[in-house]
Amino acid sequence: MNKILYVVDSNSKKDYHYDITSDTIIYHFSINSTIKVDINIINEGVQLYYYYNNINYDDNSFSIQVHHLNQSTHSELFIHGVNVLKNRLHYNVEGIVDKDFSNCICNQENQIINLKSGKSTICPILKIDNYNVDSNHSAYIGRFSEEKLFYMMSRGLTRKDSYRLLLNGFLLNSDSLDASKIVDFTKEINKI
Amino acid sequence: MLEIKNLSCSVVDNDISILNDFSLTIKEGEVHVIMGPNGTGKSTLAKVIMGHYKYKVLDGDILIDGESILNLDVDLRAKKGLFLCMQDPISIDGVSNSEFLRTAKNSITGSKTNLYSFIQDMEQAMRDVCLDSSMMHRSLNQGFSGGEKKKNEILQMKFLKPKYIILDELDSGLDVDSLRIVCENINNYMKTNKDCSLLIITHYPRILEYLKPDYVHILKDGSIQHTGDINLAFDVEKNGYSSINNLSGDDSFE
Repeated sequence: MNKILYVVDSNSKKDYHYDITSDTIIYHFSINSTIKVDINIINEGVQLYYYYNNINYDDNSFSIQVHHLNQSTHSELFIHGVNVLKNRLHYNVEGIVDKDFSNCICNQENQIINLKSGKSTICPILKIDNYNVDSNHSAYIGRFSEEKLFYMMSRGLTRKDSYRLLLNGFLLNSDSLDASKIVDFTKEINKI
Repeated sequence: MLEIKNLSCSVVDNDISILNDFSLTIKEGEVHVIMGPNGTGKSTLAKVIMGHYKYKVLDGDILIDGESILNLDVDLRAKKGLFLCMQDPISIDGVSNSEFLRTAKNSITGSKTNLYSFIQDMEQAMRDVCLDSSMMHRSLNQGFSGGEKKKNEILQMKFLKPKYIILDELDSGLDVDSLRIVCENINNYMKTNKDCSLLIITHYPRILEYLKPDYVHILKDGSIQHTGDINLAFDVEKNGYSSINNLSGDDSFE
């Protein structure tokens, strides 16, 4: 990847706009924030990997639009959130490929873990106007699986340690992360 | 000593009993085998001993060294020395093998494991079970083949040093070479941990060519119907469970 960007937000309401002209990874971490993101993939053959990981205590939303503005462009979105309290969390995740742009790949994977009885919604949206496009989406809202907790506890981990490992795995979901850039976010995970 | 006394249990949301008045005593160093037709409660037994959330105990008790473990959470049962080698180990994305095992080791021993010696030990253990060392850093069981998952279970066993090991269909999904490798590791573990006991749940006697049992029990309708030696397992393979009533055995084994 040519570019790797780290973005960290805390208790804020922000809009972001990116014009992507070369292969890019964006790691976006937010704590209790409402975020809107608009991305244009400009150049032919360019790849975008976008990781959004967020921890929420109050009502928040995340909205993203990815416009494929050239052929053979590729977007992969990984949107992971944890709803800690009884708050509301909403995702609107949109991938757009116009009819002039073929051979694109436009994928998104969305998950929200409700730790308590929070209300969460995910709207995965794919507006694909070209037949020669690979596009997939997935959405999951729920709790951590009891079967996973059983497995971990059967090896001696306490429930608390099991949750901590699961939360770290869920919210720091890329092998190539530079931990020094997200110290505050990592600390926040350990507070949950 | 692991004692299961008159145990009856069902799934949490249903009172239909799966195990009925099941009793079994496993003394230090003993190897017991449980065989039985599908749906007779073999895997349920393993999970109930470990404290699985889907099952409830209706009657009876499970004791380790004379103390009941029924009120203990799953992790505390593991700390008592129980280890369940699962039939289909679950995959956990984002949690690396090494991170998981180190946390488990710290939890079981109650002290922090030195990182350097942990990595060295893990590399050696991975060589022992013929797993590629790169798997140390991969997500737990994620993308592992059936055989690799089972080897990973034995790797965990070697690290956590349990006293009571339950193998729930260890042989399913293992090719002949892999079965030999995991059984050699279990035998070596048993040799160096003489007080360790083994409960093997299986459908096939092939695994018993490597792990020599002291007792073979036939489970039917939630309780032990027959007990014998390894020849009972071979008889079952040859003649099936339908012939079980004609087999000699010690029905009152406990």
